[in-house]
Amino acid sequence: MYRTVVNRILLTKNTGGGRRCLLRFPDLRTAVTSSRFSTTTEPQTSPNRPLNPADSSTSSSSTSFQTSSGAGDIPRQERKNPPAEYQGEQARVLQASLRHVLRLGWSEEAMIAGAKEVGISPSIVGSFPRKEAALVEFFMDDCLQRLIDRIDSGEELQDLIPSQRIYKLVRFRLEMQAPYISKWPQALSIQAHPLNVSTSFKQRAMLVDEIWHAAGDEASGLDWYVKRTVLGGVYSTTEIYMLTDSSPEFRDTWLFLDNRVKDAFDLKKTIQEATYLAEAVGAGMGSSLQGFVGKVIQR
Amino acid sequence: MFSGFKEVREEEKSQMVGKVFSNVASNYDLMNDFMSGGLHRLWKDRLVSKLSPFPGMKHLDVAGGTGDVAFRILESVNSIKRRALQDPLNDDLQEETRIYVCDINPNMLDVGKNRALEKGLGEDKSLVWVQGDAEALSFEDNSMDGYTIAFGIRNVTHIEKVLSEAYRVLKRGGRFLCLELSHVDIPVFKELYDFYSFSVIPRLGEIVAGDRESYQYLVESIRRFPPQEKFASMIADAGFQKVEYENLVGGVVAIHSGLKI
Repeated sequence: MYRTVVNRILLTKNTGGGRRCLLRFPDLRTAVTSSRFSTTTEPQTSPNRPLNPADSSTSSSSTSFQTSSGAGDIPRQERKNPPAEYQGEQARVLQASLRHVLRLGWSEEAMIAGAKEVGISPSIVGSFPRKEAALVEFFMDDCLQRLIDRIDSGEELQDLIPSQRIYKLVRFRLEMQAPYISKWPQALSIQAHPLNVSTSFKQRAMLVDEIWHAAGDEASGLDWYVKRTVLGGVYSTTEIYMLTDSSPEFRDTWLFLDNRVKDAFDLKKTIQEATYLAEAVGAGMGSSLQGFVGKVIQR
Repeated sequence: MFSGFKEVREEEKSQMVGKVFSNVASNYDLMNDFMSGGLHRLWKDRLVSKLSPFPGMKHLDVAGGTGDVAFRILESVNSIKRRALQDPLNDDLQEETRIYVCDINPNMLDVGKNRALEKGLGEDKSLVWVQGDAEALSFEDNSMDGYTIAFGIRNVTHIEKVLSEAYRVLKRGGRFLCLELSHVDIPVFKELYDFYSFSVIPRLGEIVAGDRESYQYLVESIRRFPPQEKFASMIADAGFQKVEYENLVGGVVAIHSGLKI
């Protein structure tokens, strides 16, 4: 997950308005009790590539290591197609599995069906560290990528005020989940599982960050956190509302979303009102408490 | 070349291994329990859960004579939980599961077949017992979804040949899993483990199985086997991708896994 953020930062620095791309990498994080070593072999372009300890990867206890294999060199060069990177194949399997989710849920069975569809042995499902979670996370990444593409290509966003931009973007993102809505509660419960919580939290944080960024936000300091938390709250409540909404084309959900976004933007006013209320209460309670309340409001 | 710490010629190693396992076959399971304090059952459970078996799978368990791993895989595939979640369009897949147990030693295979009978799996056509050499398998290319070798690879003469045979028989997307005794690096624990290996185990072998030499050979062959990282790079050399290993009990046992793409 860190790698995608790093890539985004690098890419946005390099290309001002160019197309940004999330690079999807499988999560190499390891369980606490086991130590792992992982190596990826790549198609050999030069037979005598020296051994490099490669870029340090995300997790502290796993290292990536590229080897120029001595014995394996010759047979590999004789093969007609260079071996495809396994991440690409895993992504293909996950993409195909999404088509089976409606029937089989976010589960190993859907992934097995996806693997069969692509023509790869279903054993590959065992190589995903947290199986169903990998499928859900792939979907979340995919949706985020589509959102980014939409932001980059959509000019009409410039003409709108921030609250409307946020409404449009959140609605666009939630509509991506609409086809899977009958199985979405399962996806949410998978994301809430202790093993998966940190990844899903990061994905949502990135999503919220992306939306605020597109809405033209220049906040810093405490404001940045407050804005993201508020939008996170709006997004999550709308997402859950959508689960039980049976109105045609989720009309009620969008109405709900609209109200929440308006409330959020009125929050500044709400905080002001809360301050006045606290002052009034303090005045009614006497001077000693007034002093205490005064400190709380930080006059 | 070395085999155990006795110097042995290559041709003789397989003969010697054959003799060792013919001697230990009948007490194999009992000795495993004694030596590992019953932990070997947990290690095999972990191996099978990493494999993630599915109905309709074609699996090859090499050097698995007494059937420990094969029975676990079969149980996992047939478990109620699995069946409840199954894809309703593919109900008959259960029938197509095949687990091939391959071992070079017929005595070990016999023990396995008897255990299958005791478990009531004698008529089950999912289990197929095959005598064969890990370095020259009789199975076709791209025919297996999974390949496991539990506590067998340190006994072969040419590890690279076994790895390339494994690569050959696996389908695209197939996984290679190897459970093996490996190297311990943790300071104090290492000394304790060495003491246990060289002093306790051969003595246990003498008392329980009446065969000190075979267990002396066993302990020495563990030390001779390449350490975790070296073995992982050998697996990568055979063509596998996503090669990883997981240490259990601080390195006493390691599960290496690789993916064929």
